[in-house]
Amino acid sequence: MKEEQKKAYKRKYEQAKRKGVKFWPDIIYKDLLVSFGIFILLVGLAAFVGVAVEPKADPSDASYVPRPEWYFLFLFEFLKFVPGKIEWIGTFVLPVLVILVLFALPFLDRNPLRHWKNRLTGISIMGVVVLGMVGLTVRSVLTTPKKEEAVASTIQEKYALGEDLYSVNCVECHGPDGEGGVIAGVEGLEGVDLKSISSRDEIYTRSDETLAAIIDYGQQDQGMPPFGLAYGGELKKSEIDALVMYMRYTWDDRVELPSDAASAGAIPELSAEEIPSYEVHISRLAKRYCISCHRPGKENNNYLMGSYQEMLTSGDNADHNLIPGDLDSYLILAINGQSILDENGEEIIQRMPPTKMMKEEYIHIFEVWVLNGMPETASDAEALTVQGQE
Amino acid sequence: MSSKYRSPAMDRRSFVKIISSALGSLMAAVVGLPAIQYFISPSLGKEEEDEWISLGPLENYPLDTPTQFNFSLNKVNGWEKSSHSYGVFVLREEGKGVVVYSDVCTHLSCRLNWIPEEEEYLCPCHAARFDKHGNLISGPPPRPMDRFETKLDEGQLFIHLKEG
Amino acid sequence: MAQNVYDWLDERLGLQAIYDAILDREVPKVNWWFTLGSASLFLGLMQGITGILLSVYYVPTPDHAYDSITYIMTGVKFGWLILGIHHWGASLLILTAFIHMLRVFFYGAYKYPREVTWITGVMLLIGALGMGFTGYLLPWNQRSYWATTVGTEIAGSVPGIGNIILRILRGGTDLSALTLSRFFSLHIWIFPAILLAVVLTHLYLVIRLGISNIPDEDS
Repeated sequence: MKEEQKKAYKRKYEQAKRKGVKFWPDIIYKDLLVSFGIFILLVGLAAFVGVAVEPKADPSDASYVPRPEWYFLFLFEFLKFVPGKIEWIGTFVLPVLVILVLFALPFLDRNPLRHWKNRLTGISIMGVVVLGMVGLTVRSVLTTPKKEEAVASTIQEKYALGEDLYSVNCVECHGPDGEGGVIAGVEGLEGVDLKSISSRDEIYTRSDETLAAIIDYGQQDQGMPPFGLAYGGELKKSEIDALVMYMRYTWDDRVELPSDAASAGAIPELSAEEIPSYEVHISRLAKRYCISCHRPGKENNNYLMGSYQEMLTSGDNADHNLIPGDLDSYLILAINGQSILDENGEEIIQRMPPTKMMKEEYIHIFEVWVLNGMPETASDAEALTVQGQE
Repeated sequence: MSSKYRSPAMDRRSFVKIISSALGSLMAAVVGLPAIQYFISPSLGKEEEDEWISLGPLENYPLDTPTQFNFSLNKVNGWEKSSHSYGVFVLREEGKGVVVYSDVCTHLSCRLNWIPEEEEYLCPCHAARFDKHGNLISGPPPRPMDRFETKLDEGQLFIHLKEG
Repeated sequence: MAQNVYDWLDERLGLQAIYDAILDREVPKVNWWFTLGSASLFLGLMQGITGILLSVYYVPTPDHAYDSITYIMTGVKFGWLILGIHHWGASLLILTAFIHMLRVFFYGAYKYPREVTWITGVMLLIGALGMGFTGYLLPWNQRSYWATTVGTEIAGSVPGIGNIILRILRGGTDLSALTLSRFFSLHIWIFPAILLAVVLTHLYLVIRLGISNIPDEDS
């Protein structure tokens, strides 16, 4: 900036000052009012919105969808548009560049004029950037998956999850009712005689923490393997909690499962003539067996199972996953324990669920559903049933 | 709006001064008063209930010789759960009933030991000595050994544990 | 009496000079957008006060951090207020500081003679973001744990030196007790110390150079 421009500015500023006000009380008064307004807002937020309660950090629970604080969301969202190979441009080069430009702004912008009409380029660039940031933030908020569909949160969901985990992980040794007995057909534990884990002696004397610890760390000297993710098992902390809750409510006669929880979690049985629907049957099965992997951010051939639409249309093999009336649909083959190979003989889909097959009656529900063209709602399915009888 | 404050009774400056100090004090109070309570909160909690601790059937304690009894209590302070251990000496004497002494030395809270050969309590820290009935024989403690209030309920001995 | 005390102090402390220099100065007439700087300062002060209060109970270890926060929320009188103000104040501070920056940009107030004021302002904005990032981990809940995992991972994606940055941020390869304690130290000592110095510089410059005026069309 040239000397005369500096002088011109100073002259203008002196004029403005002469027409101006005193810092105290005029400016302070306004500042104080605004600060007071903010203060009211703060106390209101603290009192009526509060601080959300989150579960304790659990390094073994990788199912958590990470979200940064809202003012970093735009950056987080922006990275979705940056290809993986040049991710560092988005994560490093660009932010550093922005910061450098901000620092250097007074030297980059040598235009002595200050009114916005005389600085349209700069103002528009800043406007676009800010709008972009706001847009990305909004987009990020909208695309954040709802927590409810990711983890079991209500008592009935937890109970159902626990029941299911029990049937997958525990039944082969401890029996369907925790009665124990001689183990057959389990590698390494053949012939071991287990005592009951559901008797009063056991369930009365063990606290939830103890049960969770046994499941987590195992009891190696007695053959019980550790199930905690951190100790070589496959269960997350939240899953172990659900398991313990299931055991407690099922075997401990001192506590009673809330009545609505007992029925709500169960998967409805299919009567002989009934045609299952997504709404009543499949959504629950998918939630229990599939959704933990078939949701955004997991390795699943992009096949999502969070909604009816997603189940029918998403995924790399969308054309083959579900074909109305065709029991060779990939999904049906996979849940029957077959892996799907591509033309080169490479496995593209492994059997599903990978750990252990579903109960036969559940597989049957899927099959009947596909055979009848995959109805969405209960009324759709009912209409089909009626037609079938005619 | 400025004309409103030009009355001689209250000019704009004093008006702002009053508003500023009012709002300022209000904010300071809204944060400050809770802050004080926040800071002293743990000391405001109700004194813990006095507890009667069972020491088992009275017959279990031999006559005329102090018998040590240890127990621990779980306590929660803030987020910390801790277990405190307590030790008492039970002295049962024919015709005199039972007296329960704390094993905490009245000098600086070291734990006393009963030395059967010498029929004395000895403090390992500063070599204070007490006789069988808790009276000071020698050493720095300011008072005899502390006693617990006792009661008998269906042959069970209880002591009254006061906090502090 | 009060006058006597004031005179006595003034003679020794120079109160009148401070008053004249800071409070009794002439400034241009400005609009409500110009209050956001002092609003940020106010929020910063609130963060300082509530932050200091939180440190009465908070413990920066993985074993106790979460429990101590839960205790503040449920066991301590007005803990919800102190933590709530700190939690929401952080968000509002970022917001007011950012809009304050936009206001300065819009009126071209970063130009001569206020270049250094602008630079210190950018430093303050980055510092506030740093405070937000480090403070986010401290409650040691799922949200903070995984957000920080991803956040540090992002810093680690820089080619070449990324891995070293990641390890410096985390205090090792994993997000651990070491990460928590260094984030704590950054959050309550290192950043605040730097920020305090920069804030004072910023304020000094604002007082020295005066509040910028609203430019008219031919300027």
